Amino acid sequence: MKICPFCAHKNREGYLYCEECGQPLKSDEPSATLPTKQLEVSPDDYAAHATWGTARFEKDSAIIMHIRDTTEPLTFQPEGQTVLGRSDNTSTQKPDLDLTPYGALEKGVSRIHAAIFRTEDTLTLVDKGSANGTHLNGQRLVPNQPRVLRDGDEIRLGKLIAHIYFKPQH
Amino acid sequence: MNIDFDPYVVLGVASDASFEEIKDAHRRAVRRLHSDTNPNKGAVAQLQDINVAYNLLSEPDKRERYNQQAKKLPQRKFDFILRVTPSKRSLAPMPEPQVVYMLVEILPDPRAREQQEVVTRQSRLNLTLVLDRSNSMNGVRLERVKVAAHQIVDQLNEDDVFSVVTFNDYADVIIPATSVQDKAQLKAHISMMSASGGTEIFKGLAAGIEQNRQFLAPKLVNHIILLTDGNTYGDQERCVSLAKKAASEGMIVSAMGLGSDWNDKFLDEIATVSGGACAYIKSPSSVVQFLNDHVRSLVNVFVERLQLSVAPDADVRLETAFKLAPNSQPLSVEEPSLALGNLPLNRITSVLLQFEVPANLQEGFRSVARLIARGDILANDDPRFQALSDFSIGISRNAEQEETPAALLDALGKLTLYRLQERAQEAVESGDIQEATRRLENLATRLFERGQDELGQQALAEAQQVAYTSSLSDKGRKALKFQTRFLLAPPAESSESGS
Repeated sequence: MKICPFCAHKNREGYLYCEECGQPLKSDEPSATLPTKQLEVSPDDYAAHATWGTARFEKDSAIIMHIRDTTEPLTFQPEGQTVLGRSDNTSTQKPDLDLTPYGALEKGVSRIHAAIFRTEDTLTLVDKGSANGTHLNGQRLVPNQPRVLRDGDEIRLGKLIAHIYFKPQH
Repeated sequence: MNIDFDPYVVLGVASDASFEEIKDAHRRAVRRLHSDTNPNKGAVAQLQDINVAYNLLSEPDKRERYNQQAKKLPQRKFDFILRVTPSKRSLAPMPEPQVVYMLVEILPDPRAREQQEVVTRQSRLNLTLVLDRSNSMNGVRLERVKVAAHQIVDQLNEDDVFSVVTFNDYADVIIPATSVQDKAQLKAHISMMSASGGTEIFKGLAAGIEQNRQFLAPKLVNHIILLTDGNTYGDQERCVSLAKKAASEGMIVSAMGLGSDWNDKFLDEIATVSGGACAYIKSPSSVVQFLNDHVRSLVNVFVERLQLSVAPDADVRLETAFKLAPNSQPLSVEEPSLALGNLPLNRITSVLLQFEVPANLQEGFRSVARLIARGDILANDDPRFQALSDFSIGISRNAEQEETPAALLDALGKLTLYRLQERAQEAVESGDIQEATRRLENLATRLFERGQDELGQQALAEAQQVAYTSSLSDKGRKALKFQTRFLLAPPAESSESGS
């Protein structure tokens, strides 16, 4: 199985383009190429690990978010949807993660800017139609189209730059 | 016994092979292709030929007679070349099935290009136009069709054969099949067309095929062009089986839809089963150019009635097939062989095949499929010719990472756009509006990336259309389908585009 790095669609092994979003699937990404000996042990587990790589978000893990030019990283456990934005007295909707203390207003973060979705084993980042856009590793996201979030990714909300790390719970 | 292929090649044995070798080769083939174990349509067809070859070569008398006959055959002037490029030459065994692509190209003999005049002279046309004159064609549409037909008459040579059938609720043969002598008279007949009544494609198509059949010959380009702007009701299946039968006799049907009210799936199927082209003509103003370009592509034909038979091994599936060039057209893997139409002298026919190979492959070197391309080389005295290619891959746990061949990657990238459009449409049909909208937006993004801004805008417009009305617009749907498909066909060589 080949998981599309852009939309997390599960493509069949051997596909060269994602059938869901049309992006090329890189052949040098690790895929489930297994020695048969290990296969006999537990094919499913091993296959899953081999394909997911840095995109796998373990149960009970937490996200560490390093916002540039700040000292204290944010740590939180995403459940379902985590909305990133800035809180504002006039608006009715509040974000789950308020970035006002990190200069969100000056850096052009929208009130409801982006969201991190948690599915079983992965996280996806979605732009919620923000004014100044959401970038993932330098690529601007199309609003409302989820992209897989990996350990070590750089995200940018307006001009606010942050790095995302996964912290497994022991 | 008359056979139109080389039995030694089909069995894969040398011309001095012993009886034991022949028996062995036959047994191997049966094991590989028999329908008890191999569900692929192409396997059955190829096994029939192998059985014929075996019956011929296993009996010394027959074999000797064949050898004598073969010696007397005239030297073939020209061949064509079958070239196969797989996405991977070696595979690692996987715990799951995997997909392998294959780019199949059929190229005219390089010697033929040097003798273009000889070849072109041999490419004589037997052309039938089947033209819709239902009420909806009234006015500018019919007028443009007349102009187009006039220009086609001008293009023809004296030894070409030409016929015209018009249809509404009935079919009229306005020009019975005849050699092109008096062009002015032919044009006068065409000018008298007038529009009225409904659209019954079956009657028109049947009459057209009957006209074409009168001069049907293996040394001619026997081609029928059907042009309609409407839907036919209740006779679509009969039309398709008619086209299939015509194809088996050696005729090719191309279908052109004008405007946005015709049934694209239906016309597509007619073209697919016979090896013709299906085209969408957006507005009457482009009818003249469209038809003329199509006829021009027919006067340069090097191979006519090209067929590709694909016989995968029993555990391999041929999943999809798509013709990329000279014109792009989906192919049906349900047929025993893929109808590829004609190959003009200065073009290449290329087809993209998608196979699935099973999980947990045994290590070693194994065959995947046998491909046979067959067609009539019009410039040869004995036009029948076939080229054969056996495709094998290595299976190894440490299979090397390979670069995917650029031509294959490029073709597949473009085909992905067409498939996205298809998948969006499937989602609309199954009522999954959210999914359909997302796929259309994805398609738009990919189109913008490729600099196809106009088409990208169209995809976005359709995404909105779907979100509001839960269906695609007739016009937008056809535009996306045929224009994403059009991206697949490489541009014609400059030598051809000069009119």
